Amino acid sequence: METIITVRDCWMSFGSTHVLERVNLDVAQGEFVCVVGPSGCGKSTLLNIVGGFLRETKGTVAVEGAPVTGPDPGRIFVFQENGVFPWLTVEQNIGFGLLSRPAAERDERVKHYTAMVGLTGFERSYPRELSGGMRQRVEIARALAADARVLYMDEPFGALDFLTRLKMRADLIRIWQAEKKTIVFVTHDIEEAVQLADRVLVMTKRPATIAEEVRVDLPRPRDLDSPGYLAARDRIFSIMGMDAHGGGAV
Amino acid sequence: MNQRIYHIILPLITGALFLAAWHIAVKCSGSDIFPTPLEVLRGLGELARQGLLLKYIVASLFRVSWGFGLAVLIGVPLGLVLGWFRPAFAALNPFIQILRPISPIAWIPVAILWFGVKDTAPVFLIFLASVFPITVSAMAAVQNMQQVYLRAAQNFGLSGFPLFRRVIFPAALPQVITGIRIALGVAWLVVVAAEMIAVNSGLGYLIIDARNAGKRYDLVVAGMVMIGLIGLILDWLVRSLEKFDEVRWGYGQR
Amino acid sequence: MKLIRTLVTVLTVWLLAITLLHGGLNLRWFDRAAAGVGQGKTFGVGFLPVTCHLTCPVTHYINQNMEKTDLFQPMRFSAFPELKEMFLGRPTEMPATFILAPMAIALREQGVKIKIVHLGHRDGSAVVVHKDSGIFQTQDLRGKTVAIPGRYANQRLILFRELKKVGMTFDDIKVVEMPPPDMPAALQSRSVDAITSGEPFMGQTELDGYGRVLWQVKDVWPGFISCVLAVQEDAIRDHRDEIQRLVNGIAASGKWIDQSMTHRMDAAQFVAKNYYNQNPRLLEFVLSKPPDRVTYSRLAPMRADFEEIERLGKEAGVLKGTAHYEDYVDESFAPDPATVQPPVFEVKK
Ligand SMILES: Nc1ncnc2c1ncn2[C@@H]1O[C@H](COP(=O)(O)OP(=O)(O)O)[C@@H](O)[C@H]1O
Ligand SMILES: [Mg+2]
Repeated sequence: METIITVRDCWMSFGSTHVLERVNLDVAQGEFVCVVGPSGCGKSTLLNIVGGFLRETKGTVAVEGAPVTGPDPGRIFVFQENGVFPWLTVEQNIGFGLLSRPAAERDERVKHYTAMVGLTGFERSYPRELSGGMRQRVEIARALAADARVLYMDEPFGALDFLTRLKMRADLIRIWQAEKKTIVFVTHDIEEAVQLADRVLVMTKRPATIAEEVRVDLPRPRDLDSPGYLAARDRIFSIMGMDAHGGGAV
Repeated sequence: MNQRIYHIILPLITGALFLAAWHIAVKCSGSDIFPTPLEVLRGLGELARQGLLLKYIVASLFRVSWGFGLAVLIGVPLGLVLGWFRPAFAALNPFIQILRPISPIAWIPVAILWFGVKDTAPVFLIFLASVFPITVSAMAAVQNMQQVYLRAAQNFGLSGFPLFRRVIFPAALPQVITGIRIALGVAWLVVVAAEMIAVNSGLGYLIIDARNAGKRYDLVVAGMVMIGLIGLILDWLVRSLEKFDEVRWGYGQR
Repeated sequence: MKLIRTLVTVLTVWLLAITLLHGGLNLRWFDRAAAGVGQGKTFGVGFLPVTCHLTCPVTHYINQNMEKTDLFQPMRFSAFPELKEMFLGRPTEMPATFILAPMAIALREQGVKIKIVHLGHRDGSAVVVHKDSGIFQTQDLRGKTVAIPGRYANQRLILFRELKKVGMTFDDIKVVEMPPPDMPAALQSRSVDAITSGEPFMGQTELDGYGRVLWQVKDVWPGFISCVLAVQEDAIRDHRDEIQRLVNGIAASGKWIDQSMTHRMDAAQFVAKNYYNQNPRLLEFVLSKPPDRVTYSRLAPMRADFEEIERLGKEAGVLKGTAHYEDYVDESFAPDPATVQPPVFEVKK
């Protein structure tokens, strides 16, 4: 498959804090890639560089064949802190990236993606009237409606409760399969990464680099008790220097 | 029902207690200079019968409306621009911070020298008193805006004026309105000082004039009472702005 | 946005409504339009609601009733600082004003081009103490707090003079500055021991029964001048005729006030009601008890009076002594008091 994101020898520091060191990364068209790593290692930093919100200190970052110089409407970021605009209704939020399109097409797309994320009936609600999971769906729908080819997701389910998180993962996979988007998904939750990704990139502690990548060639929906799943999970745990039961060296 | 008890009956009880305490205090002190609540009420009645009460309220509201309206018209855009453009902030902020602590009373001589004693001078004073809180709060609103809204907007390709209109302005609006509310309080607060200038109408004038009139402290207190009551109504009106959906998110859970 | 639309609509409608209301109720826009009377090009004359300035509203009232025109626009202030600022800052709107004599001289010393053309009244001032206080003569003021209207008030000079007579200075008393309207309440609550300013605020304390006159200035400094009519030199140059008519009017109405007790009582009524917004009883009291408490004749400026003020002002450290009688007085306007005829005017009852 065609490579869409290329990161070569990327370094990043904030003043004297060295965050990223020699990061290399490739993501193929339509691939679902998860990035895991300990808290504070630089996952968000890496994603923000790829997304165009931060400039790397050294290295090359290219997406869709061109060096990244800034954010791009074709590649939408779903933020760790919710980025839904609280002064707009659900449908206004979802239609946010569509204002240059004809009204009929806009309404059509808004309707379609509202339904896809299961928010039909809440079109006129304001974000403060929604639950955390619903707000996160609004943000995903907003990105999809704008016809983004790539989604960068930075721990989008981090603030949700356990059951909602499970449900959101399943929904995300469903949407991804339907829409054929490329997704780079950052999380500190190893189980989440293995449940979602085609490929998991494991980062080291700061200054971080990508220690290893783990391919997860399992059919979806994934059986969380299957040997393949458990093997992939334990592999990542051991790369990060722990065993699956929380012990081990750090 | 419970709500009603809290927000209507309780204040009425404290109000009644306060009036009783006031009445008793005046009676006990034996002062015939400071008026009892009843005398104040009679004073208000007298003003109302002469048609002066309405005239004075209108005059004060007129001056506050224009002074404050101009302050909003100038302060909000100025504050937003200062909050957004760093060079503008660097150039103007020190100047604003120097002007801000100067009491409107200190401006009275300047106001008379520049504007004379027509309505312009008090309008100018009220404008001065309210423009700085408005500007500063609009400025802070933009500066303290959550980064994530800005990034989301940039991600969708917004920049320049559309970015300003669709994201920066609505994101700053709740805090701007809080600033406006504080400023309206200040504007109404300085109405007495502003009408110390030789205008010949207004609630502030009523107080000053009653002092000239000999032993008419009932009218002085009547002026104070009216200023307080109207202030309450004004605050309630601005508060109702906070109930609009576009800004309600900015005020926490209520 | 709905909020913004609502706000803009409501504010626009409100501003329009309140402006129309204000215009109608306070500025009389519609009355004038209906009556078709333009406001003519008259000039303002500043005054305070004190008896020193009584001739200002009296002249205006008589002129309005006899000629049916406005010769000038009386502009009422509450305190001297605002009056002075208007006089200095907007000389075309208010080219003439009643003002404390030492203040006018001091302004001239500071280079402000004004001239004194007439006097406000004579006497009409007193030192008042609380009736229960133990102050019966000037010496008793030692260590006491005395309220005066301001640095450039003539009351300060006369106090200085009287203290000196008994071998005291300002160091022997505590002097506080206070707007005259606040003085009665201050004396009543005994936060000060003595007060001195122009009438009617001294009379008010007597009328209300807690003040006792320590001395009337007429008894210690007969012909005492508190306030004068000062005019911008530019106005004298460019509008000589109007200023002359103003001075004539003031001189004549002074005579009119002093003509009879009826006139005094009438003046007390219409001035208290239309110009000062005070209880008429107050003006009646100070204009009649005793009748020479305030006088409005002999109001042409005289050199000896001013040189005494100048001398005292210098001695008290209020004036520098750099401006002299010919610098700050223009005698050419004031008619000879002997020839002034009071207007033939009676208030219709
Ligand atoms: N703007 C910044 N300025 C300075 N240090 C930063 C900045 N952003 C992130 N860092 C630091 O970089 C490190 C990595 O941060 P981040 O990428 O947010 O980690 P995480 O992997 O938890 O997402 C942290 O130590 C953080 O303190
Ligand atoms: Mg992070």
